[in-house]
Amino acid sequence: MIGLILKSVRETWVITAIMGAAMLALEVALHVILPQFQTQADDLFLQVPFIRTVISALMGADVGESFTTTLLQAILWLHPVVLTVAWAHAIILCTRIPAGEIERGTIDVLLAQPLSRRAVYAGDSLVCLASGLAVLLGAFLGTRIGAAIWTPDDGALVSTVLLILLNFAALYVAVAGLASLVSALTSRRGKAMGIAFAIVVGSFLLNFLAQAWEPARAVSFLGVLEYYRPADVLRTGRAPVGDVVTLLAIGAASWIAGCVVFQRRDIATA
Amino acid sequence: MPAIAARGLTKRYGTRVGVDGLDLVVPEGSLFGFLGPNGAGKTTTIRLLLGLMRATSGEASVFASDCWRKGKTVRRDVGYLPGDLRLYPWMTARSGLSLFGRMRGKDLSAQGRELTDLFDLDPAIPVRKMSQGMRQKLGLILAMAHDPRLLILDEPTSALDPIVQEMLAEHLRSLWRDGRTVFFSSHTLSAVERICDRVAIVRRGRIVADETLESLRSRARRQVRIEFASEADAPEVAPEFLDVSRREAATWQAEIDGEASALLEWLKGRSVRDLSISPPDLESLFHSFYRDDEGSSS
Repeated sequence: MIGLILKSVRETWVITAIMGAAMLALEVALHVILPQFQTQADDLFLQVPFIRTVISALMGADVGESFTTTLLQAILWLHPVVLTVAWAHAIILCTRIPAGEIERGTIDVLLAQPLSRRAVYAGDSLVCLASGLAVLLGAFLGTRIGAAIWTPDDGALVSTVLLILLNFAALYVAVAGLASLVSALTSRRGKAMGIAFAIVVGSFLLNFLAQAWEPARAVSFLGVLEYYRPADVLRTGRAPVGDVVTLLAIGAASWIAGCVVFQRRDIATA
Repeated sequence: MPAIAARGLTKRYGTRVGVDGLDLVVPEGSLFGFLGPNGAGKTTTIRLLLGLMRATSGEASVFASDCWRKGKTVRRDVGYLPGDLRLYPWMTARSGLSLFGRMRGKDLSAQGRELTDLFDLDPAIPVRKMSQGMRQKLGLILAMAHDPRLLILDEPTSALDPIVQEMLAEHLRSLWRDGRTVFFSSHTLSAVERICDRVAIVRRGRIVADETLESLRSRARRQVRIEFASEADAPEVAPEFLDVSRREAATWQAEIDGEASALLEWLKGRSVRDLSISPPDLESLFHSFYRDDEGSSS
């Protein structure tokens, strides 16, 4: 297992370092940019009510009458670029085994070793999760550095930020589990990545539409973003236990299904 | 206990058959050739033996361990070189030996150093900078470094120059002398003929011949050219064992099956100016298997 983990780390540390740094820089940049937008946003809310609907849809929750500091802080965790970086990292890493290895033909040499497929799958998944945590750590550090630059009077407590981070980590696990399942079902990494992205983008759109369209609201529970609500955590300060458990369950169920599929499937590189 | 045993091994892909009721026994300590044209089912058989694929029906075992259910145990005793070898671009011989050593729970550095010296491969060059031949050498080193009881090599001589091919043949023979089993899959007879003592020929997923090379040679045809002393010395009728294809005055072009002793006996007491008999033509024997295949599939 150690050999497998070292191999996976060898292949993924660069992308993890780049994405972790990107996440950190992004959070710092958002801390600098968003407060400048706050005053203009309040005016826009009053003059163009539609803007409020759009922002609510993007946030996945009603944002109220004004562009508050809480709303601003929620955007730090819900900005589409932040989500895209986290999802891209999870999907890129979790489609490496087996789809990526099959596609580049290296799985023959790997599976010729005396390793169970479960160990191969689990070893790579462990590296994926640890790398995901490193990327989320980048986001956390970014928010701390950003907070040092801009500290509003009613800024979020570190404990609240950690609760959001927990919810974000659970979202990462869910997306990683889904990506692993799709990877186990296909032999082409590009296809696996495409399907996994379609699932998370679909979830994002569903969450967006659910704020304004009743039929979408009825099925919004199907999307993973339904269980990621930083705005609620910031507003209440309560741990999102139900959401975290749901996301972890989605991730675990998908991961187990992927493992079973990988253990049973034929491996043909030709 | 045979190194490899397969009985009724079948692999279907929908309506297409990859391996069709294949029966095979590879004795431990043999140099076993596995011959067949492209698409005959050689690689599919190997993938079934390594537990990379699950048989539709039938069974296969390596050293009495079921290839699918006990795949991990099987692979502990096996060194494998894939036919379409792909390696990690960042990997060097040194890092590869370290990596796969960890996966096997064995220190492969000493054996690996011997093999990299033998194949004259720089252990610090990454795969992305290697030529095709160097990659093939690295694949062979990685397959052999843990000193497996059974080596499964799929087209191992492709991309190797003749000198390295000969070196590989010699090394495989030395492994065989140490009691190792070599399963050598190829579509070219010359590669197998140089190394193996026994051969199975696979055609359309089935074994059509499984015998020693000696036995095959005795069945193979030989080209014969007989030049009688004069046209009058040439008999009117050829013996049954001699397949005469051309007669020109006192010269016959012919073929015989198997050994030449009957021909030499028949020629005793006849006036012969010259006689040439080619070595057994195994190539044409194998081609006859393949031609049968084409004939039956058309």
